Amino acid sequence: MIRKILPLLFFISIDCYSQQYIANDGEITFFSYAPIEDIKAVNKKVSAAFDISNNDIVFQLYISDFNFRKKLMQTHFNENYLESDIFPKANFVGKVFALEDDSAIVRGLLTIHGVSNEIEANGMFIKNNNSIKISSEFNVKLEDYNVSIPTIVMYKIAEEILVNVVIKLNSKR
Amino acid sequence: MKFKLILIFIFCYSYVCFSQNDLLSLIDNNTTEYSNYIFKGTKVVNSESVEMPDNGVLQFMIQHRFGTLNSGFYNFYGLDNSQVRMSLAYGINDRLSIGIGRSSSLKAIDSNLKYQLFRQSKGNKTFPLTICLNSSIVFKQYFKSTSENSIFLLSDQFSYSHQLLIARKINRKFSIQLSPTLVHYNLLSIDQFNNDLYSIGYGLRYKLSNRISVNLESFSQFNSQNKINPISIGFDVETGGHVFQFHLSNSAFMINRAFIHETYDLWSEGSIYFGFNISRVFTVKE
Repeated sequence: MIRKILPLLFFISIDCYSQQYIANDGEITFFSYAPIEDIKAVNKKVSAAFDISNNDIVFQLYISDFNFRKKLMQTHFNENYLESDIFPKANFVGKVFALEDDSAIVRGLLTIHGVSNEIEANGMFIKNNNSIKISSEFNVKLEDYNVSIPTIVMYKIAEEILVNVVIKLNSKR
Repeated sequence: MKFKLILIFIFCYSYVCFSQNDLLSLIDNNTTEYSNYIFKGTKVVNSESVEMPDNGVLQFMIQHRFGTLNSGFYNFYGLDNSQVRMSLAYGINDRLSIGIGRSSSLKAIDSNLKYQLFRQSKGNKTFPLTICLNSSIVFKQYFKSTSENSIFLLSDQFSYSHQLLIARKINRKFSIQLSPTLVHYNLLSIDQFNNDLYSIGYGLRYKLSNRISVNLESFSQFNSQNKINPISIGFDVETGGHVFQFHLSNSAFMINRAFIHETYDLWSEGSIYFGFNISRVFTVKE
């Protein structure tokens, strides 16, 4: 009896396992539109994991992996604003709701600069054979994450930053 | 038998029931974290720090040194006298930079190459120090009449310095640097006996806030006739695009050979020079 069930169980466990999708080369871009200057930075080393069985979703990135066109901005971003030596990572831990017709709502805890805030965003989930492409766009307020902008550069940095996410996750084997 | 069956069930179930933290740990790949921004500028005060212009960035720097503070009200405590060194430095790639500069009072043109050998890091790749090699050549122009003298060679006007810059960021506020230095003179002045002079430099950086730091710098000479060592204290203030460095030093010079071995002023006598550096960077290559 048990000999018959055992392989079956094994199969189940493998099946469960394959419900996870992961990526470590996702792209997150942020934009700051201010009167004097528009700033854009890209991080191409974003990792993410999505579990279809319970709709859990997580993202993680290293702050120092953001690339700016002007290197001085990158220095200030790491040194003065995001303090990446103290808070090297930013992550998001959440759940996917109302996933239908490729679009869904994602709700969860976004942690940047050591501060966690509940956020909600609309996202696209496009499923292929063995992969899911996720894309989303949402706004982040700097003051919510204790990032203080001195008045001298107020016209150069927007108070609200637009964040764009594009990640292709592959099923985990 | 039943017990075994349950066990297997539990085992399998554990696969299904992944929590969010497990998901996070799934993607939490260890990377190498490099220690960046060990010093605020490419100079500690007078001497080179392990920092260099970023890849594709051109840095323009103006260095000013006024006269000594003890020169009295008549000279406005040194502010009447000033000399300047203007320099350009360019980051060829992430590890190599090239610079050129000219000092007004010494009538000297200098050029340097700085190469980063190792980078302080932790994580996958751990290394405790950032180490750079800095080599510079100085062309000190002599008077025309001296140069036209037949026994006076062009090569006599050159001197060289080679440094190993060894730095460590102890924590986010505190960085230290040691710089073993060799200076070679092609032509000696009357009071010198060695063509090769050895010294070791010490540099400290302490961040008072995110944008202000205090720097200390000194050199110990080993085989020079001159026993007076340069001691300097400086403040780095960063305002957006510029870095201002204000300092007090008993040396008025801004090139290696001169401030290490040709300092004759003493702090104890008040022969202290006030000076500042201003640097501005331009992104040339994106």
